Amino acid sequence: MSDIARARRFGRINLEIRDDMPMWKQSLAFLAGVAAGLVISVVILLVSGVGLAALLNEFVVFIFTSPKNISGVLVQAGPLIIVGLSAGIAFKARFWNIGIEGQVIFGAIGATLVAINDIGPPSLRLPLMAFFAALGGMMWILLPTILKLRLRINEIISTLLMNYIAFNFLLHLLYGPWQDPVSSFPHSEQFEDFERLAPLGWQSLNTSLLIAVALVIFCFWFMVKSRFGFQLNFVHSNAQMAKALGVRVAALTLTAALISGALSGLAGFAISAGIESRMTQSFFIGYGFSGILIAFLARNNPLGIVAVSILVATLMIAGQSLQVFYQIPFAMVQLIQAIIVICVAASEFFIRHRVRWVE
Amino acid sequence: MTTGPGRISAHAESGPAHDPAVPALALRSITKSFGDFVALDDVDFDLRSGEVHALLGENGAGKSSLMNVAAGLYAADRGAIEIAGQTVSIRGPSDAQSLRIGMVHQHYKLVMPFNTVENILLANAAGGYRQSLQRVRELISEKADLVGFEVDLDKPVGALSIAEQQRVEILKVLVAGANIIILDEPTAVLTDEEGQRLLEAIRKLAESGCSVALVTHNLNESLMHSDRITVMRNGKVVDTVLPDAVTGPDLTRMIVGESIVEKRHLSTVTGKPRLTVRKVAARRADGLPVLSDLSFDVRSGEIYGIAGVGGNGQSELVEVLMGLLPPSEGHLYLDGPGDITLARSDERRRFGVACIPADRQGYALAGDLSVSDNYAIGGVLSGKYGSWMRLDRKTMTRATRSAVKKYDVQGVRSDGQRSALLSGGNAQKLVIAREFSGDPTVVIAHSPNRGLDVRASAAVHGHLLSARDAGAAVVLISEDLDEILLLSDRIGVMNSGTIVSEFDAPADRHDIGKAMVGHV
Repeated sequence: MSDIARARRFGRINLEIRDDMPMWKQSLAFLAGVAAGLVISVVILLVSGVGLAALLNEFVVFIFTSPKNISGVLVQAGPLIIVGLSAGIAFKARFWNIGIEGQVIFGAIGATLVAINDIGPPSLRLPLMAFFAALGGMMWILLPTILKLRLRINEIISTLLMNYIAFNFLLHLLYGPWQDPVSSFPHSEQFEDFERLAPLGWQSLNTSLLIAVALVIFCFWFMVKSRFGFQLNFVHSNAQMAKALGVRVAALTLTAALISGALSGLAGFAISAGIESRMTQSFFIGYGFSGILIAFLARNNPLGIVAVSILVATLMIAGQSLQVFYQIPFAMVQLIQAIIVICVAASEFFIRHRVRWVE
Repeated sequence: MTTGPGRISAHAESGPAHDPAVPALALRSITKSFGDFVALDDVDFDLRSGEVHALLGENGAGKSSLMNVAAGLYAADRGAIEIAGQTVSIRGPSDAQSLRIGMVHQHYKLVMPFNTVENILLANAAGGYRQSLQRVRELISEKADLVGFEVDLDKPVGALSIAEQQRVEILKVLVAGANIIILDEPTAVLTDEEGQRLLEAIRKLAESGCSVALVTHNLNESLMHSDRITVMRNGKVVDTVLPDAVTGPDLTRMIVGESIVEKRHLSTVTGKPRLTVRKVAARRADGLPVLSDLSFDVRSGEIYGIAGVGGNGQSELVEVLMGLLPPSEGHLYLDGPGDITLARSDERRRFGVACIPADRQGYALAGDLSVSDNYAIGGVLSGKYGSWMRLDRKTMTRATRSAVKKYDVQGVRSDGQRSALLSGGNAQKLVIAREFSGDPTVVIAHSPNRGLDVRASAAVHGHLLSARDAGAAVVLISEDLDEILLLSDRIGVMNSGTIVSEFDAPADRHDIGKAMVGHV
């Protein structure tokens, strides 16, 4: 028992489960997580030879004071917010939508279909493209959803595999019927001016950011304010109990999955019509996992998704300039992003638990 | 009795006056608070070797907290722990284990896909895997023989019944070498018969030299199966008594501070049949037929009790009534809407059917969500609290607060508190508050007093009776014959998935017992 006696002199950490935590404290925990991640990253960068002054210059001055970079972050954040919402709403219904990229591809295909076939009058072209993009995304998630609800086929596998189908179909289109007739490159022809999301008149910002904001408002209403969202919380927490109480679990899951698909489709629209101005063969890459990551870190909360998306976009932009100006290898940039993400994820622990030092 | 905060007092005090022997485990002046709430207030408890010591009290009296201190899960704010007269410091479960203290919790800590041997090995890992596997297997057989347990060692634990899983948990602490064994409400999850077998095993354990602390809220269990009884109330010890020296009513008075005697009072006004079940048959998910040719009627203003040994189709009957399991044959009728055999659960709720399931955490509450959400979901689904566009959270919170007050749900410290943090009795009260908020005309209650203490179960019974007196048709399905006899106006006995006979109250206990076990 001597080791026990020895331990007594030092006291110990006591963990208690918290009843609940007010929203502002949760936000504070989130920010503390970001700060902790940044501190660790700075240490790593200092060790690898980047000067402190240069770092401050990069992160604080360059990112937050240059309008070009602020707009760069916001342009990057737009589609991230939309895919984050897509993942968040599906996860809320315990529908593990891993097929966001496939739905993004089909969203872009829907939009491009309208654009290159000149469907509808020019003034209605963009709304039509958006509509077909949402439809494309919904179509691509419908099959896995039906398979899950009817035959209990695991949607993680089916949505994942649907990504590959979508990708190969995209390649078929770009190397076949939709190949750019002007340059013969494997991408679609460029969209007309009225088929692109209009610039907002400040730096590179365009209406895709407004679309993202509108979708955030919609999702906030749907998930937080409306009766659907309330019921969705029960599907998330205990589907069996929800069913026993009369929540129509299957119908709600279907609705949430379709909205998720539509959102991913709209993300495809926002990227193709807002950033690339055409459909390329790589425009979707990374958005699937980013969406999942963002939704996870934001715990499926629409406002949290906005915050995390901006954080992720900042890391992307800062990473690019670190790479270009300080010859930091890309692996290091990824390492830093991962560290910050892990720190934010770890802050969840302090939301759930109270840590006290007892003598 | 004043010791400094956070200090473990070093001097051993002599035990209570009636105890000359040195106790195997003694807890001295234990104080523990959570925030402002004082869970344990200067509590003394001792456990002699070879005895079964019942720790009796209501939910929330501090029994589990006290035992968690002994098992190293909670650190006491003040007080001392002695093992065989020596002051020890228990700073975590591993300290407790090395002091040969083992605790079996209410919620089991088992890895479901692993078998018994693997689960026990996991908690007692030492040396190479293969040799340990053999060693642990032998140890398990030895300990199982000692207490008379039969456990399948090679089946995945998930495929075992609750009672068998509990035996695995007990064997786990025995294999770890514990000789001070704490069992937290072990019979709460068991049927009467299984509980009886467990109590016999506990006696064998004590005879083999172990000391057993039996946390319970069941009077008969402590009167019949313990050597001494310590009663706790509101975080304090009321007294320690010998079972021969007290009666049930004495103990009740000690537990609740007043006497609670539930009296039978039969229905005065019974109307026409409200719920009619006709020739219902149903199969489980694995295709096994569980219900067959099951028929009964429940009139408005009566409680129809369904008695039976557990596992005769009760759970499936509840699922059929709730609309979760479609019957393969037969029909359900409701006075008014008519045939509801194919109605979904939300439609049945709209027709006025409320349900209090036996598995609260599985079918009645969403543990992650707040008390307020869990209360309001019933109202939200029936169109209360704002429109589909906008949920009225303020009204929801206000309604929850008044329901929490009206139904005496204790332990709600904030509006946003997760419902999983409520104790069993209070969780049940919350379920009842929600289910009764819509003035139901049919109430299905499955083992509503399971895991509840005297006071909580009297309150629950009171609510069922007042629903009946308000004209509801109540179906009470319970494996507790006392509960059935106390509340029912008519009694149906369920055996092998069907009602084998019916009795009018007051019915003879032995007749019902015969019908439960045999074929009439």
